[in-house]
Amino acid sequence: MSDITSDELKQKILDHLKTVDKTKNRDVAKALDEEKRMVDKAIGELATEGKIEYLYLNGSYITLKK
Amino acid sequence: MAGDTPMLDDLEKGPWPSFVKEMKRAAKKNKAAEDLVGVVELSYKDKITHWKHGGIVGVTGYGGGVIGRYSDVPEQFPNAEQFHTMRINHPSGWFYNTKSLRTVCDIWEKHGSGLTNFHGSTGDIILLGTKTENLQPAFDEYIEHGFDLGGSGSVLRSPSGCVGPARCEWACFDSLDLIYDLTQSFQDELHRPRWPYKFKIKASACPNDCVAAIARADFTIIGTWRDSLSINQEEVKVYAEKGMNIQKDIVANCPGSALTYDESNGELHVQPEDCVRCMHCINKMSKAIKIGKDRGATILVGGKAPILKGAFLSFVLVPFMKIEPPYTEIKDLLFKIWDWWDEHGRNRERVAETIGRRGFKEFLKGVDLKPVPQMVKHPRTNPFVFF
Amino acid sequence: MKKTDIGPPDFRMMLPDIIKENYGKWQHHEILKPGLMKHVAESGSELYTVRVGSPRLVSIDFIRDICDVADKYCDGFLRFTSRSNVELLVSKKENVEPMIEDIKKLGLPIGGIGDCISNIVHTQGWIHCHSSATDASGLVKAIMDELIEYFTEFKLHAKLRIAVACCINMCGAVHCSDLAIVGIHTKPPKIDNSKLSAVCEIPSTIASCPTGAIHRHPDKNINGLELKEERCMYCGNCYTVCPAMPLADPVGDGVAIYVGGKVSNARKAPMFSKLAVPFIPNNPPRWPEVTSVLKNIVEVYAKNSRKYERMGEWIERVGWERFFSLTGIQFTEQHIDDFSGAMDTLRSTTQFRW
Repeated sequence: MSDITSDELKQKILDHLKTVDKTKNRDVAKALDEEKRMVDKAIGELATEGKIEYLYLNGSYITLKK
Repeated sequence: MAGDTPMLDDLEKGPWPSFVKEMKRAAKKNKAAEDLVGVVELSYKDKITHWKHGGIVGVTGYGGGVIGRYSDVPEQFPNAEQFHTMRINHPSGWFYNTKSLRTVCDIWEKHGSGLTNFHGSTGDIILLGTKTENLQPAFDEYIEHGFDLGGSGSVLRSPSGCVGPARCEWACFDSLDLIYDLTQSFQDELHRPRWPYKFKIKASACPNDCVAAIARADFTIIGTWRDSLSINQEEVKVYAEKGMNIQKDIVANCPGSALTYDESNGELHVQPEDCVRCMHCINKMSKAIKIGKDRGATILVGGKAPILKGAFLSFVLVPFMKIEPPYTEIKDLLFKIWDWWDEHGRNRERVAETIGRRGFKEFLKGVDLKPVPQMVKHPRTNPFVFF
Repeated sequence: MKKTDIGPPDFRMMLPDIIKENYGKWQHHEILKPGLMKHVAESGSELYTVRVGSPRLVSIDFIRDICDVADKYCDGFLRFTSRSNVELLVSKKENVEPMIEDIKKLGLPIGGIGDCISNIVHTQGWIHCHSSATDASGLVKAIMDELIEYFTEFKLHAKLRIAVACCINMCGAVHCSDLAIVGIHTKPPKIDNSKLSAVCEIPSTIASCPTGAIHRHPDKNINGLELKEERCMYCGNCYTVCPAMPLADPVGDGVAIYVGGKVSNARKAPMFSKLAVPFIPNNPPRWPEVTSVLKNIVEVYAKNSRKYERMGEWIERVGWERFFSLTGIQFTEQHIDDFSGAMDTLRSTTQFRW
């Protein structure tokens, strides 16, 4: 668990999303070894900023906004 | 153009109010509603749906609240090709002032078909039928007027609850305030999917369960009390005088055999430790019998419809919890359940199914609760025990 | 950044003065006649509630009509019930009867409180749903036209709750209703392997099947799926995750009828609805075979039940064997459970009725 700012975390998430087609919050948290609630919060902010979007057919996932 | 619609026209007849009349009222003002009449008539003729599998549409920042819907007969009915739904989170208890309700209608007249459901199964206002390009403007305008989207997909669905203390003498907690508080506290969980599947919270403020919380919610809050119901003997006598057969209709129906009626003096007595708080005597003798004073709720988990591992009624998790603002205990429990389920749940697995697969024992450990006999109908009958 | 996450309006803005003043201080209530009840507060204040049937699928002009009524008689407040009824809340007794007249002029029925059939909880059906096996609004309209006297009059010993779901996803969670009408498919999905790999994830589609009937196509040149049809019970879960597996069929689709569920804890514990009629083909616009079965069940129940007995309580008392003989509904192999938990449904006692 690292002590990083929310902007750094958001950037790490965006970088991680470039490596996967789609994923879920919990898997992002595991891949980055960050606290799940912080990741949830950062992903929510990225969605509001329009940088990521949600896929919701056959389960819900996040992906980089195309 | 909808053209002739003989099948639907037949459903304008008869004493029950007609949804076809409503569709046609909307069709007079809106092309999409007009084409919807045609699409549905075609379904009546063909005996099959003419709506295609979803499609991802939505508003910026949210992962739900909008259901994408496309018709498979766009050439015939071009104005209903895109017929997306917006879910608008309802106020607790489905109470409205007419000003707000008219605002909801005016915005929908501007941006949608003018057709609605008051309400959808989960409790939201359902606005039926709009195009992708209208979603964001409609959403922005609803936000501007104090309304927000409800949940869809793998999120917390809009919590809902019974009428509670607003109009009921049996409310064991403030279902309206609790639902409002939980809805406001969990806006992120409601709008941004992160879990294996949907999660529903419903609250009924007494065991009559007027909102079917035990059948419909993953997290079920049902009001109850720990002390005794109270009986006003004068009012009991009034019921007897008016012809109620108290022995047969009330005492004999008591599931806990907790009531005794003495015909010689007309008194009705309760053995509190035998009472299971079913509500029957209270329901039928509302003036004479009152709920207890040490009030709270039983928390149950796991209710759901049959897809996929079969239907469940929620089962007892916490036999008694005080339900008072700021509702910290209930929120803490919710977070523990969500963390455990999000960690162990498979895609499209409701919490009851994860519990069924991993075992209730493991679930209890995951949410820091001790086993108590109120959780089971009976202990196990088999000898295959893990130690 | 745009404003989001404001949640619904505070319900406190939506309450009439009489409710604000007596919030949490109601003393008792009485049902005065079908569709009309009176709540009395500790303060002595009286609140009259008039319950009005609605088709649920309504235009904004319907909402405006009832807003007009609420403005005229209810100081501009109203509510809806969880079964899509409209409830108009009146603090002045003298307003009740004129308001009821105005509601009748709108063509809306009043009833559904107490020992009645209330409005039918239902799903979208052919109006809006891609997985529906039947229509919902049309079934509800046809059923309520047949049973409306049970909404507007007291003709039962207990309340009777009906629900319609247009497929077994049961968006309305109809599985604990006195009478549940459920759309079902009876033909397996028709796999379209020409587009399947483009629109579906193969592993998650295989995993979606609760009976393990779906597997990879044996021909290595086909990137698709194959179905063991004899294992399929038409749940449609594969179609939910994979659009290339449609199973709707004009001949194979119809409804099943389940009976005897309840959610209230009063007297007996909550119970599931159980299968009464396995399949009736769709026959729009009025599904006459469905409505006649339902009407018969309601009439037999009304005649044979005891005071306060819900449908499921009555059936438990007289036994399922007598439910079938009294209603004349045929018992078939489909009635015997073969899903998980099926063994618990077999009868391990010699106690039964002839």
